[in-house]
Amino acid sequence: MIQEKSMTRPKLSPEWLRRNMATIGPITFVIAVVAVFQIINPFFLSYQGFITLVYAMSYFLIASCGLTFVILTGSFDFSVPSVLRLSALISVMYIEKIGFLVIPLALVVCLVIGFINGILLAKFKVPSFLATLGISIVLEGIAWYLSKGHLQLMHNETFRSLATSFLLGLPAIFYWGMGVWIICTFLALATAFGRRTYAVGGNLQGAGLSDINVARQRIYVFMLSGFLSGLAGILYMSQMGGGSVRIGADMAIPLFASVVAGGTALTGGVGGPHRTILGVIIITWIQAGMAMLAIGQDIQMITFGLIAIGMSIATMDRKRIKIVK
Amino acid sequence: MNNRNSKNKVFQRIKQTLKMHPVIIVLLALLIIFGSIYPDRFFSPINIKSILRQFVTLMLFALGPTFVVLTGSLDLSYVGVWMLGGVLVWMVKPILGIFAIIMIPVVGVTTGFLVGVIQTKAKIPSFILTLSLLMTYTGLAALLAEGYPRAVEGYEFITAPIIRYVPSTFLWTIPIIAAAIFFMKYTRICVYLNAIGSNEEGARLAGINVDKYKILAFMLSGGFTGVGAIILFQHLGGSAQMELKLNTLVWPLVAIVLGGTPLTGGSGGPQRTLLGAITFTIFYRGLYLSALHPTMVTLLVGVLLIVAIIISARGLKGVTVT
Repeated sequence: MIQEKSMTRPKLSPEWLRRNMATIGPITFVIAVVAVFQIINPFFLSYQGFITLVYAMSYFLIASCGLTFVILTGSFDFSVPSVLRLSALISVMYIEKIGFLVIPLALVVCLVIGFINGILLAKFKVPSFLATLGISIVLEGIAWYLSKGHLQLMHNETFRSLATSFLLGLPAIFYWGMGVWIICTFLALATAFGRRTYAVGGNLQGAGLSDINVARQRIYVFMLSGFLSGLAGILYMSQMGGGSVRIGADMAIPLFASVVAGGTALTGGVGGPHRTILGVIIITWIQAGMAMLAIGQDIQMITFGLIAIGMSIATMDRKRIKIVK
Repeated sequence: MNNRNSKNKVFQRIKQTLKMHPVIIVLLALLIIFGSIYPDRFFSPINIKSILRQFVTLMLFALGPTFVVLTGSLDLSYVGVWMLGGVLVWMVKPILGIFAIIMIPVVGVTTGFLVGVIQTKAKIPSFILTLSLLMTYTGLAALLAEGYPRAVEGYEFITAPIIRYVPSTFLWTIPIIAAAIFFMKYTRICVYLNAIGSNEEGARLAGINVDKYKILAFMLSGGFTGVGAIILFQHLGGSAQMELKLNTLVWPLVAIVLGGTPLTGGSGGPQRTLLGAITFTIFYRGLYLSALHPTMVTLLVGVLLIVAIIISARGLKGVTVT
């Protein structure tokens, strides 16, 4: 991050490599993933294969952009999959009754959930991991209550075309994902909001002393995460055309792994949404590639668990932190 | 005079205990409320048996992580130890015979050691480390068992009835709880763990080998979970489970927090988890008997977790919460 702009061209020295490891590492990883799957399965990068990859990564990218902001402040949001599920279920359950008002309804509900998460952390001093875990349980109850455990199918074709209509050979959800990613990158790197987020994550006390309203910033970040998870849920429903309370199950660790695999450290203050896209490509393409090769859920789970541990070890800046709980 | 004094002392003692363990009041209140709503059903032998059965499950899962919570960290790998251990028992049963059950504590202690070393050396927040490890274990268990729950026979003696209406697993649980409380009260390790939990930097400056005791805390956690999971293995059906449920993961945490061990560490211990587990079980069974929809019960458990954490986080000044 703190890299001086020198006029000379960078030389390929070990020093330069080490300094830019956070960028080079994920890119190499992406190339390796693509190469391995392409060699095993020649259809991986064919047009049809690529559409599958795009479908797999787009909603995931939106959700993990939100999570990136939370991890940037040094907190954690476990409730992303549950919020995603709730917003998907709201949009499928009420589309018949209130039409396209479900989209603002779902987004407002998700914003409120994010707000509650933020309040619990910032005002009530509940560690974010447990606050969001508790909220997840509550949301799971609500999701069961709403759907009664049945599979819900989306019959509204206009709603489905939000994600599945093709533009220039690519599905619309790809442009949604890219649009959100660009906005998030802009928000993180070029606005005061982004700067405050980095400050809170980098040094909480310092941020408080330099007149940043830390509590408010944390609440905003959780609201952003809730909002983006809600958007991801709506697009998920639009893409998949149906779902039950199983939506988003086992998604927490892959989401987290994609954020850290991109190079955002768990300690906060380092990384950003612009990097998360690399992590998302790594995780979702491994997932989709394994699915194309008919490799089961169990091996995928082992892989993501190990990637999550390995990547958190690799990205953690151990000089800066003294105490870790 | 003397009599009054001693009476006062008893009164003081009770007051002190209630102040230390406010959950006792909640427990009594719940007992009175549920007892008066369903006077026949709540104190019926069948319900009491169910309460004890559920208490065993909850307590054995919550006992180990309590030691880690004392130091201010979190250990979520307990469900993974139970699952992976169960599968390994099924795998080595043909070789080791009845002693195959030893695999579960072995997995527990190994996991504890692994988590402790990674957590202290690589400095990854423990909750995310153990959560990732839990996921790895779930996948590994499913892979090894080829996706089916594998029943193992030969351990029926654990659940064989001894006393009527009292599940035998409850009797087996008592010595484990006693051992944990003994560890807590009469060894120096737990003094150190408390010191680390309340002020890690201070503990380091006082000459405590913090890393060593943190690893030890994770190993204690893994060990107690492992020994408990031997009983749980038979208690929960004598087969290795495959599916990871959020509820199994969260309920022990609710029991720990409800008992009054704050998540920031520094005070509490197994004796409080015991109270928390009893209270939670009675809360849950009481709701279960009511006409509420099961999903509402799940929802209320989530609310209970949040409220319990908020109450236990009371009065934390100057502690950075992330």
